[in-house]
Amino acid sequence: MLTARPTDPAGPGGPSAPLKIALMSCAHTHAVSYAAQLRTRAEVDLVVADPDGYGDVRGARVVPSFEDAWAAWPEGPDAIVVTSANAHHKDLVLEAARRGVHVLCEKPLATNVPDAEAMVAACREAGVVLMTAFPVHFAPAVQALRTAVADGTLGEVIGLTGTNNGKLPSARDWFTDVELAGGGAMVDHTVHLAEILDSIFGPPATVHAVTNRILYADRAGEGAETGGLVTLTYDSGVVATIDCSWSQPADAVTWGGLRLQALGTGGQLQIDSFAQHVGGPGQWLPYGTDTDALLLDAFLDAVREGKAVDPTGEVGLRTVAVVAAAQESVRTGQPVALTTA
Amino acid sequence: MTTTSPPEEHPGAAAPAEASRPLRVGIVGTGGIARAHLPGWTQLGVDLHCYSQAGAEEFAAESGATVHGTLEELLAAVDVVDVCTPTPAHPEIVRAALDAGKDVICEKPLALDPAEARDLVEHAETAGRRLFPAHVVRYFPQYAAAKQAIDTGAVGNLAVLRFERTGSLPSREWYADEELSGGIVMDQMIHDIDQALWMAGPVSTVYAQQAIATSDSAVRTAHVVLTHHSGVLSHCRGFWGPAGTAFRYTFDLAGDAGRLQYDSAGDSGIVFDDVASSRQSSGDGFLPDVSVLADPYAAEIVEFMTALSTGAPTRVEAADGALAVEVSRAALDSLRTGRSITC
Repeated sequence: MLTARPTDPAGPGGPSAPLKIALMSCAHTHAVSYAAQLRTRAEVDLVVADPDGYGDVRGARVVPSFEDAWAAWPEGPDAIVVTSANAHHKDLVLEAARRGVHVLCEKPLATNVPDAEAMVAACREAGVVLMTAFPVHFAPAVQALRTAVADGTLGEVIGLTGTNNGKLPSARDWFTDVELAGGGAMVDHTVHLAEILDSIFGPPATVHAVTNRILYADRAGEGAETGGLVTLTYDSGVVATIDCSWSQPADAVTWGGLRLQALGTGGQLQIDSFAQHVGGPGQWLPYGTDTDALLLDAFLDAVREGKAVDPTGEVGLRTVAVVAAAQESVRTGQPVALTTA
Repeated sequence: MTTTSPPEEHPGAAAPAEASRPLRVGIVGTGGIARAHLPGWTQLGVDLHCYSQAGAEEFAAESGATVHGTLEELLAAVDVVDVCTPTPAHPEIVRAALDAGKDVICEKPLALDPAEARDLVEHAETAGRRLFPAHVVRYFPQYAAAKQAIDTGAVGNLAVLRFERTGSLPSREWYADEELSGGIVMDQMIHDIDQALWMAGPVSTVYAQQAIATSDSAVRTAHVVLTHHSGVLSHCRGFWGPAGTAFRYTFDLAGDAGRLQYDSAGDSGIVFDDVASSRQSSGDGFLPDVSVLADPYAAEIVEFMTALSTGAPTRVEAADGALAVEVSRAALDSLRTGRSITC
C-alpha cells in the first residue's frame, strides 16, 4: 500500500508547484461550480474528466476518460474531486487511495454503509486525506448555530427541525435512479442536515423515517422516494426531524433551501443558509457567501497539510449510516437504533 | 332538578323557548379559555351564565354573567353549555349537560381517553343534541384559506405537510401534569394533529418523540410524524418555550402542484418597530394574539350557534374531536413505547 507522497519539497501547491487536481466526472452538477472555482486559482492546475460527455464544464482542460485524468501529469494528480454518480464514488476513491492521492468526495459519500466504510478505511490506510463535500458546513448561518449552541446562548437545546427541500433534480436523470443515486430525496437531502447535526451533537441514537412518492411522481425514477421525514433522537434526549422532500415546486423562483431551527431553554434560533438574496416578483438574486469556495479552500489547505479537516470522510460515513438506518426504518415501519461506527 | 328544555321539546335545535328571549348560555369553568370565548357570546348578545369551582365571581364582574352555585343550577337556567374546564372534567360535565337536554360546546381535547371521547360523541347522538368540539384553529382564517385551496385542488395532491406551534407552558398548574392535561401533545399539538386530519384525512401510523429540558421542565418540545391513509406525511412540532416565548404558528403544505406556507411571525400588516413595541404589553404567550385577525374564537361560536338554529353542518363535528383525541393518544403511546403506533 502506497502512502501519500510528498509532492514537492517546498510543499504541494507552493509557488513553485501548483496543486494538480483532477475533477473526476461531470455527472454531478456541482462539477460545474467546483471547476469554476478551481480553474481561477493560480495555485491549482485543473484537469476535468468528462467520460459521459456532459460538456457543460468549460474553460478547463477537459479529458474524455478517468484514465486520461490520472495520466494528465507524469507523476499523477495530487488530489481528486469526485463528482460522479453516487454509486460510482467508491471505485474512484479506492483508486485514489491506491495511488496515494487525496480526495474530496461529493455527498453522499456512498450509497451504502459497507462502501463508505471501505472508502474511509482505504484512505486511512493509505494516509491520504478524505473529505466529504458538504459546502453548507461552511455557511455563516450554520456557524452561527454551532456558536450559539457552544457558547450557551440557546441554553439546553432540546429539539430541532431541519428542512432541505428542493426541486426534483432535473439536469441529470441519475439523481432519481435508485441504482445510481442509492435512493431518492432521502438519500439526496438528509445528509446535509445530518452532517450539521453531527457537527454539533454527534451521531444520533435512533432513526425513524417515513417516505412517499407523490411529488414529481411522473418524473422521478422508479422506486425513488420524493418525500420524506427523518426523525433522529440523541442520547442526550434531543429530538430532531429532517424534512428531506423534493417539495419545491418546479416553477419556484429558486431551487429550494436549507433551514434549521433549534429550540432551547435559552430561546430559539432559526437559520436559513440560502436566505440572503435580493428579491422581487419572479426574482431571486442570491448574494450570500460562496460556500463552495470555502469548502475548496479547506480541502486545498488539508491537501497541503496532509491532514483532513471537517467535513471528513468519517462524518460522510456517519451520515451514510443515518440514511441507511432511515431506509431500514422505512422498510420495517419502526425506529432503528444506530450502532456507532 | 328539572331542566328548562327537555330534549323532546327541542328536536335538533336549541332555540330559546320563547322567540323574544335571548339564548341562555352557561359557561362551565371560568379560566383563560372562557375569556377567549367571551367576545363571541357578547357578539351574539346571549344571556350569559357561569359556574366554576374558582373565579366565577371575577368572571361575572368582567362579563355580566349570572353566577350559579352548582352545575345543576346552571343547567336548569340555560339552553346551551360551553365547557371551558380543565380537560379531566370534560366528560362528566358534557354528559350532565347532554342528559339535561343541552347542546354543548366543549373545549379541546374532548377527553384524554379516546374511548371516552367516542362515548361522548355517541352520548350526544343518543341524546339528540349537538356536541361541538372547539378546535378553534379550523376557524383561523389562514388555516381556513389553506383548507379551501386544498379542497379546490390549488396545490394538487398533498404530499408532505408540516405544522409548528410555539408558546409557553400555560401558567395554571394542571397543564404541567401530563396525567391531567395529556401534556404538550394532547393540549397544544392536538390543534395541528386536527389540522393534519382535516387536510389530509385519517392516519394509519403515528410516531412521536418528546424532549423535556432537564434544567427547566417547563420547556419541552414534541415531534409527531403521521402517515395518512392517502400516503400523505405530516410532521407536527410543538414547543413550550422559556418564559417570554412569543406565541407562533406556522404551516408548510407541499402538494404535487404547488405549496402553501404561512408563518404567524411574518408580516401581519401591522408592524411596530422595537421602540414602539417596547411600549406595548406583549401578551402572555399562552394564547395567540388574535387582535389582527377576525376573531377565530368568535367565528367558531357564531358558526356553532348558527348551526343550532338552522341545523347546518359545522366545519368541525363531534366525531372530529374524538378522532383528534384518538391520534393524540396514539402519539402518547408512541412516546411511552418508543414505537410507531398503528391506528
